Amino acid sequence: MEKDLEDKFLSDFESNQNIVHKICRVYTASQDAHNDLFQEITIQLWKNYSKFRGDSKFSTWMYRVALNTAISLYRKSTRTLKTQDISDVAYKIKSSDYDDTEERQLSALYAAIHQLNDIDKALIFLYLEDKPYKEISETLGITSVNARVKMNRAKEKLKNILNP
Amino acid sequence: MDLLDNYKKAWGNQPEEIQKLSAVEIYKMAHSKSSSIVKWIFIVGILELAFWLIINLFVPDSIYQVYEDLNLEKHLKVFMVFHYLVIVVFLYFFYVGHKKISIASSTKNLITRILNIRKTVKYYVFYNLAVVFLTSLALNIVLVSDADKLMKIMNPNNIPVDINQLIIITIISQLIAILIFMVLLWLFYKLIYGILLKKLNRNYKELARLEDVN
Repeated sequence: MEKDLEDKFLSDFESNQNIVHKICRVYTASQDAHNDLFQEITIQLWKNYSKFRGDSKFSTWMYRVALNTAISLYRKSTRTLKTQDISDVAYKIKSSDYDDTEERQLSALYAAIHQLNDIDKALIFLYLEDKPYKEISETLGITSVNARVKMNRAKEKLKNILNP
Repeated sequence: MDLLDNYKKAWGNQPEEIQKLSAVEIYKMAHSKSSSIVKWIFIVGILELAFWLIINLFVPDSIYQVYEDLNLEKHLKVFMVFHYLVIVVFLYFFYVGHKKISIASSTKNLITRILNIRKTVKYYVFYNLAVVFLTSLALNIVLVSDADKLMKIMNPNNIPVDINQLIIITIISQLIAILIFMVLLWLFYKLIYGILLKKLNRNYKELARLEDVN
C-alpha cells in the first residue's frame, strides 16, 4: 500500500516538478536557498500526499502546498538580492533555443519579483501561470474581489519596478 | 499591449529546469528532515509545556511545608487537582491545533491555524505565570496577616529581628525574584518567537489588510 502510494507520488511529482522549481525561483535568490526550499516543499508534498484525495488535479494541489510552504513554512527569509544571484537565475534559464530578448525579459522579471513581498509574489506567480481568479482567491483564502484588488496593486508594483 | 503581457509571454516560454531531479533523488528528499516553522513552533511549544510541568513536579518539599505550617494543605490539594486538569486541557488544545493544520488549505487559513497554536502556548504560559503570581500573593497575605507564623517560617533560627523589617525583606526579595524571572521570560519570547513568527505575522497582515476593511 505504502509502496503503491510512493510510486504514484514519485511519478506525479517527477512530471510536475517544474512547478516547484518555478516557485523556488520566485521565492529564493540563490542556488542554495533554491535547493533548500525545494527540499522542504518535497517533504511537505510527501507528508501530505496520503491526504490528497484526487478531487482536484495533482498540479493544482501541488501549487497550493508548494506556495504555502514558501509563504508560511519556509524558515529562512529571502535575502536581499545580490548581483551574483541574478546571474545565477539567468544562467539557469539560459537555453540555446530561447529567444535573447525573452531571456533578458525573464531575468528582469525574476529580479523584479524578488523585490515584492511574499503575498505579492504569490499573486504575480499565479497571474503569470494564468490561473483564474477563483483559484487564486481559493489558494490564498481571500475573497475574489480582494484577490482582484490585491492583484492590480501587485501588478502596479511590478510594473513600477520593471519600468521605473 | 500591456507592459506585463510581454513579460508574461517570456514567462510562459521559459525553458524547463535544467537540473531535473530523478525519482530516486525525489524519494531521498521526501524522506529527509523538515525544518519548517511549524516544526520549530511545535518543538518550542513542547519545551514550554514541559518546562512548566517540570516546575510543577519538582517544587521542593520545603514549599509544601510552608503550606502545612499555614494550615493550607487542603486548599493546596484542591488547587493542584484543578491545576492539572487545566494543563491537560491545554495539552489537548495544543494537540488538536496541530492536527488541524493542513498545508493544502488556503494560505490565510494555514497561517491563522499556526498562529492559533502559538496563542494556545501563550495562554498556557500566562496561566502558569498567573498561578505563580496569585499563589505567592495569597501566601504572602496569609503570612503577613499572622506575625507569629511569619517569624516561624522566615526566621526558623530565632535570630532577633524586627518583624516589620522581615516583612519588607520578604516582599522585596520576592519582587526581585519575580522581576528577574519575568525579564528572562520576556527576552526568551522576543528572541524565539520574534524570529519564528516575524514572517507569518507579516504575511498574515498582508492577507488580512483588505479583508477587514470590506
